[in-house]
Amino acid sequence: MRALRRFFKRLGSWARTHQDEERLQAEIEEHLAMQTSENLRAGLSPTEARRQAVLKFGGVEAIKEDYRAQKGLPFLETLAQDTRQTLRRLRKAPSFTITAVLTLALGIGATTSIFTLVHAVLLKSLPVANPAELYRLGKESRCCYTGGYSQDREFSLVSYDLYKFLRDNTKGFAELAAFPAPEPLFGVRRAGSSEAAQSYPGEFVSGNYFTMFDIRPYAGRMLTDTDDQASTPPVAVISYRLWQEKYGSDPSVVGSVFNLNDKPFTVVGITPPDFFGDSLRNSPPDFFLPLNTEPFVETDADLNKVDIHWLDLIGRIQPGANPASIEAEMRVELKQWLGSHWGEMSASDRAKFPSQTLYLTPGGAGISSMREQYEHWLLILMTVSGFVLLIVCANVANLMMVRGMERRRQISLSMALGAQAARVIRQPLTESILLSLFGGAAGLLIAFAATRLILHFAFPAFAGFASVPISASPSMPVLLFAFITSLVTGIAFGIAPAWMATRVDPIEALRGASRSTAGAGSLPRKTLVVLQAALSLVLLSASGLLTAALHNLENQNFGFEQDRRIVAKMNPRLAGYRTDQLSLLYRRIHDSIASIPGASSVALCLYAPLSGGAWGSGVWVDGHPPPGPKDDNSSLWDRVTAGYFDVMGTPIIKGRGISEQDTATSRNVAVINEAFARKFFGNEDPIGKRFGRKPGASREFEVVGVAKDARYVTFSLGRPSGPFFFLPEAQAEYSQGNLGSLFLHDIVILTRPQVNLSIVQVRQAMASVDPNLPVISIRTLREQVATQFTQQRLIARLTSFFGILSLLLASIGLYGLTAYNAGRRVNEIGLRMALGANRGQVVALVLRGAFGLILFGLFIGLPLTFAAGRFLGSQLYGMNPYNPVTTLVAVLALGLSALAASLIPALRASSISPLEALRTE
Amino acid sequence: MSPMKEKKDVLQGTLALMVLKTLDVLGPLHGYAIARRIEQISGELLSVNQGTLYPVLLKLEQEGSIASEWGASENNRKARFYRLTRGGRKQLQAESRGWEQTAAIIGRFFVLKADDLK
Repeated sequence: MRALRRFFKRLGSWARTHQDEERLQAEIEEHLAMQTSENLRAGLSPTEARRQAVLKFGGVEAIKEDYRAQKGLPFLETLAQDTRQTLRRLRKAPSFTITAVLTLALGIGATTSIFTLVHAVLLKSLPVANPAELYRLGKESRCCYTGGYSQDREFSLVSYDLYKFLRDNTKGFAELAAFPAPEPLFGVRRAGSSEAAQSYPGEFVSGNYFTMFDIRPYAGRMLTDTDDQASTPPVAVISYRLWQEKYGSDPSVVGSVFNLNDKPFTVVGITPPDFFGDSLRNSPPDFFLPLNTEPFVETDADLNKVDIHWLDLIGRIQPGANPASIEAEMRVELKQWLGSHWGEMSASDRAKFPSQTLYLTPGGAGISSMREQYEHWLLILMTVSGFVLLIVCANVANLMMVRGMERRRQISLSMALGAQAARVIRQPLTESILLSLFGGAAGLLIAFAATRLILHFAFPAFAGFASVPISASPSMPVLLFAFITSLVTGIAFGIAPAWMATRVDPIEALRGASRSTAGAGSLPRKTLVVLQAALSLVLLSASGLLTAALHNLENQNFGFEQDRRIVAKMNPRLAGYRTDQLSLLYRRIHDSIASIPGASSVALCLYAPLSGGAWGSGVWVDGHPPPGPKDDNSSLWDRVTAGYFDVMGTPIIKGRGISEQDTATSRNVAVINEAFARKFFGNEDPIGKRFGRKPGASREFEVVGVAKDARYVTFSLGRPSGPFFFLPEAQAEYSQGNLGSLFLHDIVILTRPQVNLSIVQVRQAMASVDPNLPVISIRTLREQVATQFTQQRLIARLTSFFGILSLLLASIGLYGLTAYNAGRRVNEIGLRMALGANRGQVVALVLRGAFGLILFGLFIGLPLTFAAGRFLGSQLYGMNPYNPVTTLVAVLALGLSALAASLIPALRASSISPLEALRTE
Repeated sequence: MSPMKEKKDVLQGTLALMVLKTLDVLGPLHGYAIARRIEQISGELLSVNQGTLYPVLLKLEQEGSIASEWGASENNRKARFYRLTRGGRKQLQAESRGWEQTAAIIGRFFVLKADDLK
């Protein structure tokens, strides 16, 4: 308490220093006067009386010093003094200051920008109350449907039936909520509006979803358990974003009716602005509907299928409950539930029964599929930007050391006069920390701009959809990160120059001869240049590898033509079509678009290549022994209309493609790809063979053709295409399951050569078929393919940018060192030339010094590049990480820029005349 | 902090106690009078530079133990007078108690003979 009061008094008196000094002066004068008069009374002479008084009082200056130390805050005072002095010195050297601050801003800005993403994607919790109480089912996120009574590794998706069983029996959860793993789009039209339906992402959620997250409505109310019943009238909750952007914050939205997939829902509430659902994803849901309305909206409902697992679970545990014991409880419940369905289980399900288990993991971040997806590349970028920051540190340290050299005389003078080493260190350290704080402030601006740019490229938003809920503006943790990074950076590049500053021998320095300092401080600077060379080599070869991998990806043989192809996306579900109306709809769409003057041919399919989806199933081949429980007999498949392969430009290698002769009444046929033929038929001729998608139905389809392998799925891009088969749309099995596969999404249009088909024409053609059918997007196939590699392109470009930046910085560092060394060796060079050395020899002398360092950098950097290749791993899509070509290119790039950086000072050194050089002595 | 400074701090501690006691007994005094008083009582045993008193006075004032104001001295000169505050009186009481205790304990050790511990 007393210490605190004293601190404030000191703070106060520090502010009125001048006044207090006067007071002390007056008191001392008074004191001396009194003592003098007393001495006079004792009989001393006036002079002697005064002298004795002063003697008795003691050293006035020492007392004043002591008084000042008592009075103010010496630490703050010297800090302020140092800061003032440093600012003055920095102002006097504007070019140094600007260079240093800009360099630092680049380094800190790059690191902070990547950290903003790392923080948002990897570290941040959902914006809900007490996220630490949330737990979710499953260690990894899976999508989207899985059938049967067994799941590999862990039971992470559940059916509605299993959800209810777990919810009702697990006591440790205060609330356990469920929502489907797939994120559907809904065709949305406000009732009474004349506007065409538009598609928006939405989500079915269990009635306790908002209670579980503890989300309060922005307006109206959130969903409740009462809403989530088959019998209650359908209601929905709309996102704040859509309400604001699309409906202009119209308060009458709450309470009004919206048609979702042509089914009426009453909007009862608006979510709060910062809520984006249960997971961070590219386009957060705009509508939340009760889970029990799923059969009402979807033709092919999954809610009441006991063995279709499609729900993710997140729950809030009871305060103080132990998640481990809840997990144990749920494992028992899972076994009980599976046991109660023993009769329906297949042989392979029964065999896997003992190993069935589940895991609870912290769910504060939601279903973190984005986290898994981006973790590796964010890690790569964080490492890369860290390297850049290191190089920046080395560069600025180098600049500081040169400055330190220039100030050696001044420092040795102050040390000779008795300045403390701590005080001498503090000055350059203050300078470096101040510089890096300035750099950090400028870096925040760079980080903001860079983050916006990265977000724009990494998470491209569809028009009208919500964009990824990551903000580029720095949050508190990001600001803190930038501040700490700046501080640490400042200390990192300041400590060596500061330490070197005190390593001066006062006498030697005072001797004044420039030659006496030769050699000192050269080793640390050389080390820095070697370090920079090594780091930039690593970054260069990493960016080379990533760029080469991207090039391979983009220029692979996709198995289809990209030119002159346009893909329009739609979803007949969103306009409320029934399955029996679909064939006619497809026919009308085909004819309407084919009649556009520029269109050459048209085909529809479930999924066009690389559009982000595919259906999978098992394969049973007629005449082959059935696969065992461990055998992988899976294949992907697509449903297409006649002429599809011609429109796509996929060559048919054997037999024929899907054509008009395949009708509902003709035999059921399939076209397979080469990988399918290899996997299931080996050396046999597949044409005329039969296979099916269920055990005991192995005569379902007859193979009529083999198509060339084509890239359809957007994952496993580093591996060859897997097995795939194509079924004719005309032979859709309306009576069976898989009804969802009847809704074709993609329309592929082949345009005539040299014709530019406008989007408006396509939209008009679609609207003439049905104005209620929303067209989700129209783009060229080339664009669709290119967007698949957005992430790879971004990371390759960023790494290349960082690589070039680091090369530039390293070259500047080398240039600075070489120029400085050459300058210091002017005498020696002059002497050598006087003794007969020619210009070439002098150039070689200087270059030798520079290239010695670069060679050393290569020596350290090369093993690191191999480590970097391994670290990049899966980002290289199967490319060999020890690629001699990229390494060689990186080495050459480094060598050439080193040559450029050192040749200039070398040539300058060789052009001095010996006479002049010797005179500078 | 260097050891030299520590030594001074110890000295300042005792000096502060002396200042407080002096002001307690004699009422408001100016700096010179305090210095003279301490000299007289310690019987010149304490050879302190008079000047060291002023930093101590400042510290005590900052801590709120004493207060000061300008006034006129005996021979009508302008002088700064220091007086004990209520907090200072309390501090003095607490510290003198502590000091007496310490002195008593140390005193007991000094009269200790070998026999006493048998």
